[in-house]
Amino acid sequence: MGILNPAGALSLVAIAVLLALYLFDRRRRAVPLGTLFLWQHVPAAVLQRRRFRPDALFFLQLALLLALIAGYLRPYLEDAAAPAAGAPLVVVLDVSASMQAREAGGTRFELARRRARALLDELASGDDAMLVAAAERPHVAQRWTSDRALLRARLEALEPLDTPTRLAPALELALGEARARPGTRLAVLTDLPPEETGMAPDELAAFHYIQLGATDDNLAITALTIDQPPFQTAREAAVTAIVRNFASTSRPATLEAWVGTDRWERRELVLGPRATEHVLLAHPPHGGELVVSLLVDDALAVDDRAVGWIAPGEPLDLLLVSDSRELADAFGALASALAGSRVEVVSRDRYRAEGVTGRRAALFDGFVPAELPPAVNALYVAPPAGNTICPTTRAVDGAAVIDWEPDHPALHGLQALDAIEVAHTNALEAPDWATPIVLAAARHAAFPLLVAGERDGRRIACLGAELAAPLTSSDKLPLLMLTLGTLRWLAEPFGGAALAVETGIPALAARGPTAPVQGPGGGTGLHLAGDPAVVVADRAGTYRVGPPGGERLVLANLFDERESDIGRRAAAESAPTVAPRVPDARARREIGWWMYLAATALLATEWLVWARRPAS
Amino acid sequence: MRLRPAARVFRGGADGGPEVALRARLLDPARLARYDGLALHVRRGMGDRPGERRVPGRPQPSGIELEAHSAYAPGDDLRHLDWNVLARLDALLVRRFTAERDVVAHILLDASASLAVPAGDDKLGTACELAMALACVALNAGDAVRVAVLGGDAAPNGVGRAPDDAPAAPVFRQRVSIPRVATLLAGVCPQGSDGLGAALERYTARRRAPGLALVISDFLMEPHEVERAIQALRARGYDIHLLHVLGAGELDPTRVFSRGMLVDVESGATRPIALTAATLARYQAVLAAHLDALRALAARCETSYARLVAGDDVAGLLTGALARAGLVRRR
Repeated sequence: MGILNPAGALSLVAIAVLLALYLFDRRRRAVPLGTLFLWQHVPAAVLQRRRFRPDALFFLQLALLLALIAGYLRPYLEDAAAPAAGAPLVVVLDVSASMQAREAGGTRFELARRRARALLDELASGDDAMLVAAAERPHVAQRWTSDRALLRARLEALEPLDTPTRLAPALELALGEARARPGTRLAVLTDLPPEETGMAPDELAAFHYIQLGATDDNLAITALTIDQPPFQTAREAAVTAIVRNFASTSRPATLEAWVGTDRWERRELVLGPRATEHVLLAHPPHGGELVVSLLVDDALAVDDRAVGWIAPGEPLDLLLVSDSRELADAFGALASALAGSRVEVVSRDRYRAEGVTGRRAALFDGFVPAELPPAVNALYVAPPAGNTICPTTRAVDGAAVIDWEPDHPALHGLQALDAIEVAHTNALEAPDWATPIVLAAARHAAFPLLVAGERDGRRIACLGAELAAPLTSSDKLPLLMLTLGTLRWLAEPFGGAALAVETGIPALAARGPTAPVQGPGGGTGLHLAGDPAVVVADRAGTYRVGPPGGERLVLANLFDERESDIGRRAAAESAPTVAPRVPDARARREIGWWMYLAATALLATEWLVWARRPAS
Repeated sequence: MRLRPAARVFRGGADGGPEVALRARLLDPARLARYDGLALHVRRGMGDRPGERRVPGRPQPSGIELEAHSAYAPGDDLRHLDWNVLARLDALLVRRFTAERDVVAHILLDASASLAVPAGDDKLGTACELAMALACVALNAGDAVRVAVLGGDAAPNGVGRAPDDAPAAPVFRQRVSIPRVATLLAGVCPQGSDGLGAALERYTARRRAPGLALVISDFLMEPHEVERAIQALRARGYDIHLLHVLGAGELDPTRVFSRGMLVDVESGATRPIALTAATLARYQAVLAAHLDALRALAARCETSYARLVAGDDVAGLLTGALARAGLVRRR
């Protein structure tokens, strides 16, 4: 017989508390402190003694406490026929993008797989093993099994992904398994140095840590930015590609940009050691899928290519419902400045729902009709109190923007929105179908200033602030850009814009088709699930989601400098170790639950005695 | 990102009380004037957003300070072509400039319940004052500031705390935002007992871009919990500084009590203690060992560590210990 939780003996202090309740005066002074962990090392004192008069209740409570403590200590009885314990093994294999880097004997992943194969071969017959693949998230490739052929097959089926590395969750998972199975050996095969795993050194000490890879020969496109002014043609777009040399030697490279099937640009670059080059590409031939690639023979190829989307650029086609002549003039000036644009202005009393048909978007200024406009996306500006589409809570004076959702497509390319200050606005209340994407704050409270969402198959946005004239003045420029950005989002057709994501990072997908998926790896590199749909890409590249004709694009890139910076000081390997020792639960029979059952019975008895005691 | 109503970070109403007094104290003009001329020194944790911090070694096509030349390529801005070099060497070279990046100073205030006790020490006020000072120094120097109040549960009235995973912890970028920082800090309500390590792991999971992490806490926890917090920040590439706010009553318990039942405000645990010469000496030894362990941990993790006793001069800490640690310097 023994105990599995010796540390639980500390709970014996509960008996002292029980005794203290009987021994000490109830009026003793309580001193609140931030923590007692320093005082745990200081001997406790007897504060005030009085005559100890134990009764039946005391003994029952003492027995109850002892039963609980005994249960907490997890006592066990030795099993006479304990099974012979093997040496289980958990192999954590890094399958992140940097493992695709080429080394002298193959890729880092192939080197890691070779070592993992050898570790599995060393297992004794009947020993269990588990295989965990680690990238942005851990994935149990094979649960505990002693089937060597199955393990080998799973290992051979693994391939490195195009995602960044987050090794810590996988290591935590392996540690958890090791605690449940005492004596488990842990092995991790990765190119990440131990100090970058995010784990404490004493936790890492439990692992047989095998670090692979040494080359730093890598050039990468670390960012691709597409700036396209609202309602301008694709020719006005500008693309900036950031190219970085992660090697310690100078490298030449050729950068090529393609739009659709047309080659757009070709640049010769020479990057110094660890240097960064911003490559600006202007005046694309037309809109469409953009592919920027580095023609260079470096160790890691996945970050040599980036994809993006240049929107075709549609002119402004707006129905403005407003009684404000200044606002109508301001939008008229905008329409004349944007080639091909059209703005029709109607007053509120002449607005008819059927007149909206055929427009790309409608803007309602200080006016919310009872019904949504048919088949047109709409922006409601300064909605009055009491309307049902854009509910408001109160009027606010002197507010400023404090936070916004930079990933929302309506705010794409907009920065420094905190420069927006509005004299008068309505605090919006986000309806169920909408999300607050811009927050403002006044003196004592913050509130949504702009909410957007989809309702009844249409995109709807509500802006609390008034569009006071002169809208085109420099002071109002941030608010104007916010309005135009929102109108651009409203005017674009559903599924027309591509969704750009970074590999391994979940992103919210707009409403649209979720199957079938075509792209890298036969479409298996993209996962779409949930309502609203969340998209995660394991492989970089261009995906087409949906049936032919109604498909939408998902563009996945690996933009992670930590992942592209593949240089390591040297390969290293720690000595094989065994995980922290935990008593073997399988060979012993725990009797703690019997103690808890006894405690339950004692509690019932104690309650009965307490209920029947004579009143004092 | 799902936005939460930012009302959670502000005190509602105009009921006055301690937060009003604390806000007035944080915005004391004489106090704020002492932070002028200071700037935060950042060793790493640069983002990609354009800003005012100069980052040598990453030349870019535009900027202020010339750093290097590179071969001209079609599409390069002709204004940056070096005509003198062209005249002398007949070579087409364009100037490259030192990159200027935005630096976000993450002021991470550990507002667990222990910050409110001992009540007479004013650890909360001192921690808020230190956070305010760092925010002023950063905003005065043109850096962005994100103030996050870490801790356990939300305050009972739903305000005064931005949960550590809340994206609504706002970013301030302008000097005019200083009163808003003061309002936010004055509304902090210490509560809960969530671990600092777990809180920072959740925080860094949401904030992938690195920056300057200024962790303000009383660090009344086991050193391994502090190490877990440091590892969470290091894994994301933050430049970390530990700022330890200690109460005078924690250094000298005789200021708080002589005998009584000690109650842990976070766990509710109790311990009867009578302060005798022997128990006091034992406590002082345990405390000294804890402080040594924190300092050794900071040295091992290559982070700076500075200690401030509640009530001490915050500006003195900035120009003294933090300047020696390399965090603060004259502009």
